[in-house]
Amino acid sequence: MRRRGLPGFLLAVPAWLWLLFFFVAPVAVVVWYSFGYKPGLFGTHANDILSFDRYAEVFTPTFFDTFLNTLWIGIGGTALCFVIGAPVAYWMALKAPANMKGLLIALVLVPFWTNFLVRTIGWLVILSPDGWVSHALQAFGLGPLEILYTRPAVLFGVVYNYLPLMILPLFVAFDRVELPMREASKDLGASRWRTFTQVTFPLARPGIIVGAVLVYIPLMGDYITATVLGGAKGNMVGQLVASQFQTAQNWALGSAMAVMLILIILASVALIGLLLWLIATPFRLRHRVSIEGVAS
Amino acid sequence: MTSVEPGLGSLPAFAVDAEQHTVGHREPPPQHSQRKSWSDRLLGVWAVLVFVFLFAPILVIVIYSFNNGRLLIAFDHFGLDGYLALFQKPVLSDAVMVSLRTGAIASVLATLLGTLAGIALARKPGRWTYWFIGLLLLVSVTPEIVDAVSLLPWLVFLGQDLGMSVFNDGTVRLVIGHSLFSVAVVTYIVRARLVGLPANLEEASADLYAPPVRTFLRVTLPLAMPAVLAGLLLSFTFSLDNTVVSAFVQVSGSTPWPVYVLSALRSGLRPEIAAVSTVMLVLTLVALAAVALVLKRAGDSATDIARTMAGG
Repeated sequence: MRRRGLPGFLLAVPAWLWLLFFFVAPVAVVVWYSFGYKPGLFGTHANDILSFDRYAEVFTPTFFDTFLNTLWIGIGGTALCFVIGAPVAYWMALKAPANMKGLLIALVLVPFWTNFLVRTIGWLVILSPDGWVSHALQAFGLGPLEILYTRPAVLFGVVYNYLPLMILPLFVAFDRVELPMREASKDLGASRWRTFTQVTFPLARPGIIVGAVLVYIPLMGDYITATVLGGAKGNMVGQLVASQFQTAQNWALGSAMAVMLILIILASVALIGLLLWLIATPFRLRHRVSIEGVAS
Repeated sequence: MTSVEPGLGSLPAFAVDAEQHTVGHREPPPQHSQRKSWSDRLLGVWAVLVFVFLFAPILVIVIYSFNNGRLLIAFDHFGLDGYLALFQKPVLSDAVMVSLRTGAIASVLATLLGTLAGIALARKPGRWTYWFIGLLLLVSVTPEIVDAVSLLPWLVFLGQDLGMSVFNDGTVRLVIGHSLFSVAVVTYIVRARLVGLPANLEEASADLYAPPVRTFLRVTLPLAMPAVLAGLLLSFTFSLDNTVVSAFVQVSGSTPWPVYVLSALRSGLRPEIAAVSTVMLVLTLVALAAVALVLKRAGDSATDIARTMAGG
């Protein structure tokens, strides 16, 4: 039994209280609003009659299309981040000169810590129909660039904005796969491809899951990328929620949307986790057998 | 090669290892090594392309900050008008000052709360830990826009309906909004650092009859210090970056820089936006370099630094 230095969890109490008062309470109020309704033109919310009507309203085509759109951008964006980021992380961790690692990490971190809005405006400048890329394309007779304010532009923007969040955990994961492990695999006659699929990749899997979750969660709630690059066609749920609070002044509906957004994020992360676990189980069993075989 | 980064713990050994490995394998089968270098080179090219992609918009902003034209998007001619605007237009410098002030207060507050919580999590785990970590997870997965829409009515309720006038103050509102995510991140970082260090120094201190407060101040806190400083600077950059929550909770008269940019997006982007952004970028980079230096001094490897800087 360890000697008591300071009494128990007392040190965590200030943070506890702070988050209870400024996070849990406000979010609870929003959940409460979501069961109410908008009373007349000038009210924002009323809770004297409680119902699930606002949630039903979320599922009407007008709003639900935006939810589906967001889900597609979320899944597509996360997948693209993985496809683009994984080779970079792999290269950084296992192929790049070891003394360059610090520098390479810094190079990934600089965009990550540059103001999100400003980075996105950078793309606005590049992709603009009046920008130099567009002018260059026109000079080659390829017409002006018309990607801005479309759904692909939003997908492009979120992939750019969240890519560092994929590269960093993948780098950490690949970096942890010790060289001796991979050498052993090769010495035992495994091809390079087999070493990758059966040693490096399975060992890096926790990092892949972390990276996917780190990208997917903020991406689903993204507001800025869609606002800057999306316009009306590239709407996402974040803007929908904001517009209910700011322009439509329908706090009840906006709250229901916010709650749905959180629920969808939590549910899809849980679902992905479950699927990965189910897929991985047979592999894990096989691996355990083979490792025991080597040990004995 | 190995002496470049003396602080990076296990890396030098790793580097030597890698060298021997490639040398050992390069000689016998030439065909094999050729294929290897070919695919590796392809990976390297891909990585370079991705880095170009990552830096393209930042570079564009820096270049366009020297645009003397009227609109940011159309580069007119080279000049420093954008930077001069920072001194001529009080709106710009005010917004930057609001951002810096909020960042300073929010980061100190978040670090204070997060450090205490992180120490408690690492040193006094118990059943409460699950609840607390659950709460922190919830804070970190909640989209910013949800924080924003829930915090605004709450602050209006506290400030106007309950008459607590502190909550009508612009800086207080921004600090509250910016602190939430940062508290969670600082807690993770401090906890991660202390969990990696055994508690025997603290136990020794207690065995030598140091009162708990002295053990805390003289042993636990110094042990956690690199993480505390990293958390402080990370929260500061988080605060400088915060746009969504700020846009909702801000009070006119204390508009932080990103919110000013967001509103300029609607009214027309001018080159001074790029100029001030470039100045802010340099500030952020200095802060980042300081974090990296602190962590490196504390003996973290490049990987540990990456993990800490990405927010645990």
